[in-house]
Amino acid sequence: MTFSEKKYPLNLDFDVSTNGDSALDIRFSAEPSANLSRYIIGLRQYILSHGPNGLADLIPAYQCLTIIFDPNLFDDESLSQEIQRLTLKFLKTPGKIKTKPHTIRIPVCYESIFAPDMTAVCKHTGLSPDEIVQLHTATSYLVHMLGFSPGFLYLGGLDSRLYCPRKNKPRVRIPAGAVGIAGNQTGIYPQATPGGWQIIGQSPTQLFQPYSKFPFIAAPLDIVEFYPINKSEFAAISQYNH
Amino acid sequence: MSIYFIRAGLQTSIQDYGRPGLMHYGISQGGAADLLSMKLANLLLGNTLNNPVMEITLTGPLIEFDCDVSIAITGARFKTLLNNNPIENYKVIQIKSGDILEFSHLLSGARAYIGLSATISVPQILNSASTHLISGFGGHKSGAIEQGERVHLENIRIAKEAQLERELIPNYRLRPLIRVVHGAESQRFPQSALDNFFATTFQVSAQSNRMGIRLSPSIIPEPEGLEDISGEMVSSGLYPGSIQIPSNGEPIISFIEGQTIGGYPRLAHVIRADLHRLGQLKAQDKINFQLVSPAQARLILQKKNKLLAKLQNRMESEAREALTI
Repeated sequence: MTFSEKKYPLNLDFDVSTNGDSALDIRFSAEPSANLSRYIIGLRQYILSHGPNGLADLIPAYQCLTIIFDPNLFDDESLSQEIQRLTLKFLKTPGKIKTKPHTIRIPVCYESIFAPDMTAVCKHTGLSPDEIVQLHTATSYLVHMLGFSPGFLYLGGLDSRLYCPRKNKPRVRIPAGAVGIAGNQTGIYPQATPGGWQIIGQSPTQLFQPYSKFPFIAAPLDIVEFYPINKSEFAAISQYNH
Repeated sequence: MSIYFIRAGLQTSIQDYGRPGLMHYGISQGGAADLLSMKLANLLLGNTLNNPVMEITLTGPLIEFDCDVSIAITGARFKTLLNNNPIENYKVIQIKSGDILEFSHLLSGARAYIGLSATISVPQILNSASTHLISGFGGHKSGAIEQGERVHLENIRIAKEAQLERELIPNYRLRPLIRVVHGAESQRFPQSALDNFFATTFQVSAQSNRMGIRLSPSIIPEPEGLEDISGEMVSSGLYPGSIQIPSNGEPIISFIEGQTIGGYPRLAHVIRADLHRLGQLKAQDKINFQLVSPAQARLILQKKNKLLAKLQNRMESEAREALTI
């Protein structure tokens, strides 16, 4: 993917501010969008290759790139100036940044045994289960970022007809691989955790495999697509994975 | 050559510095909850400071050794017995094969560390031997050590005698005053919330863990008051030390296994120099916060680092014989 400001007109106003004693936030004023994420991921790569050595972590998010540093190594004021300068420089020449997004197809079983909240989502959206599956699998979702827990994918692009509020009372345990909807987001739980998402299916794909050579299945700017499978296919894939 | 857990304790795990640099994958750094105590254990033994240690939480284990090895116990104070005789913390102890080490009741603090003059034999997962307890990977079999399990040791040597000066041993009986700088969204809070935050003595909740330390009471008299602040938040990078205020007004300090992305407004941030102190908090403990400037935060950190470097130099000097550092 090549960046071009003409192709992606976007308000690129930003501000660098301190976040605690060990981080700086580069925060953009534009609303979250696929285009803004492309800039933020591009900027992350630019700072990694052109910025000072020894930065601890660079966490991209919808509107913000958080840079975590060791205050033993950096003074926040001079680092802030350096980051400001690098960001301006990057935004002038984003065309130089190239990424190679992959499309990852993820199987999901939407059958009732794995979809405890399908009825609730039907009721809220006025759609039938088949329509929900159809809409959920028709979209190419953009990976904005990974995070909160290992391997979780923040996906953009959920069809607005599927928007559905979180459950009033979160579940104590949602199994790893559960596919849910919360507000305008959809996602897959990478680990068994408590959670308030409306669960409409279950994927046999593991998002985080710490003991594998490739622990994560996707990177920011990748495209994720879901495809429906039945219970016996689910069992077959699960067995293959273990 | 191994150590055998006759009793495992509440949550005994293998820890080192953890896994920095993976937050963009959603992996928090993890590692020892009290890094300073971990470093002191290794320093006493003449190890590299990042040598993996055992982290013991609230209830300690009962351990049988089947080899000679040196250990040093730091951090929380337990009543600690070696073959039924009391032993001291912050001191190199020579263990003989067959010895039994018992952690009896907890006296102060929350987490103790056993440093070993050996390498704990576990695979390096994502460049670390540490156990990520919340996500369940790394360390010994991806989790806390269980009763009846054996942890193997390699590269065993015997360390020289050494002991930390009494004045340098932290006292966890004192109510901690945790120093903070302003948080990313400090300016969005009403002045009354900021005033309450710094005037309140908080109590640590039993729901606290390596992911987050939950405090009560609320700093917002009427919870609706926070809607304006959290309503407009878009999730972004979150790291250990950030003090988030969810809508119920009860602060949560993000800790070493915390979420890497969060969406609650951050009122303050625990300075890096005081992060290790959070690892010694347990349910019912009382804490207060004090605001410092970023420049002061840096000075405090430099001072703590200098002290550690000085201790390390003394340990490495050739002349040491039964050294008291």
